Amino acid sequence: MSALAVARIDLKRLAVRPFAWTLAGIALAMMAWQFLLGLSAFMHAQPVVPGPAAGPGFIDAVVAPYLLNYIQLCLVIVPLITMQALAGERGAQRLALLTASGATAAQIVLGKFTARLVFLWLLLVIVATMPLVLGGATHPDWGQFGAALVASALCVAALAAIGVACSAFTPEPALAATAALLIGEGLSLIDAGVRISGGEGGWLGYLALHTHLAPAMRGLVRSEDIVYFLIIIVLALALAIRRIAAERERG
Amino acid sequence: MAATPALLELVSVGRRLAGRAVLRDVSFSLRRDDVLGLLGVNGAGKSTTLAIIAGVLQPDAGSVLIDGKNATDDVRTMRDRIGWVPESVPLWPELTVIEALDACGRLRGLSKPARKTALERELARLELTDLAQRLCGQLSLGQKRRVGLAQALLHEPDLLVLDEPGNGLDPVQAAQLRELIGKLKPGRGIILSSHDLAEVEAMCNRVVILHDSRVRLDAPLETRRGKLDAQFRSIAAQPASAAA
Repeated sequence: MSALAVARIDLKRLAVRPFAWTLAGIALAMMAWQFLLGLSAFMHAQPVVPGPAAGPGFIDAVVAPYLLNYIQLCLVIVPLITMQALAGERGAQRLALLTASGATAAQIVLGKFTARLVFLWLLLVIVATMPLVLGGATHPDWGQFGAALVASALCVAALAAIGVACSAFTPEPALAATAALLIGEGLSLIDAGVRISGGEGGWLGYLALHTHLAPAMRGLVRSEDIVYFLIIIVLALALAIRRIAAERERG
Repeated sequence: MAATPALLELVSVGRRLAGRAVLRDVSFSLRRDDVLGLLGVNGAGKSTTLAIIAGVLQPDAGSVLIDGKNATDDVRTMRDRIGWVPESVPLWPELTVIEALDACGRLRGLSKPARKTALERELARLELTDLAQRLCGQLSLGQKRRVGLAQALLHEPDLLVLDEPGNGLDPVQAAQLRELIGKLKPGRGIILSSHDLAEVEAMCNRVVILHDSRVRLDAPLETRRGKLDAQFRSIAAQPASAAA
């Protein structure tokens, strides 16, 4: 109950903060531009004379790269949305108020995470609406689209959990954002060298976000990819809860 | 017949912060209808003591008893029995007064009808009705203090913990605060910290003086009136021990 109360407070605060809406506006404008560019390139690649379908379809050529671009954008915007979650609350004693009101560390962290996740998933829904409006005209593979969307949603949740954890470990929101950005970029680029040289990723490849997003973008939902994202979410939130719970002891 | 336990009892409470002993062997108690003033110079350990009572900090040693039951490990007891107002009132600047108070009611697990009743009662009691739709970030210090008190009173706690409630208030607001504490006193215990002797003498019936992390005086105020100033100065002048 308290976790929902905390989430409700934070959602209300996000809803009236110009910062969150400006960030959302910029992100959506960038995504709309990228979608139009992708769509334009796809249209130019179509044969002039109608014939049997060949080559990559609308989802492969437009939607999958578009959602991957959104994940790249999230590496930057998620830390900005999560940086205040706990780091900004300490100095103003609002964290102490939540504790004094009887909220446990788990309820505080889960509430903060849920509020940010709702905001970020709402953005994802709007981002996904752009290709959806062309659904009637393009005969997309809905299964592939759904798989790509599920993977994107899980990836955003994992990045949000990392952001909340970083916010729990530092009193400075800017430091929290920097740490979350570095971890996100690290997970994104960890196997870049191996990929460029064309080798097998091994355990570095398993840690990389790309390894777990690519199959879903092709329409393949693998349990190992879902487990990967869930491990990140659970680990990050557990660390955040541990840190906030220790606050009563550390002072 | 067994004696009724005190509403609040601190038993040999100790606490270290950043490697320094902030509280050492602090013991005192508080009964219903008592207003206890916690006096001490800056850094004496007043806010730490109040944060431990409110459950925000955990004591390294000793225990905090509410009606004889250990409250330090029982979050529910703490939430239901105590209302806490820290020195800088923690409000959400983006929310209106009514939204902030409603959120506090939710955090305390009050049902919707109970929240509605509590909000109406506290808005009226603290003369906040006209400010209900104002953003918390736009309130003056005195108004913030009243909202802070309202959030602490929503669940009608038995024990009210106020950290430096008169700090930064103008004389009119300070007089209103004294009047309010007088009204809130019946049926509950109030503990407030201050370094202002006049404020403590005006509002409290008991005084505890903290100095160098320890309790140096615990006495009813009526026996000390007129002598408190000299006693406080004498205690505050004592050198701090080097023990860490």
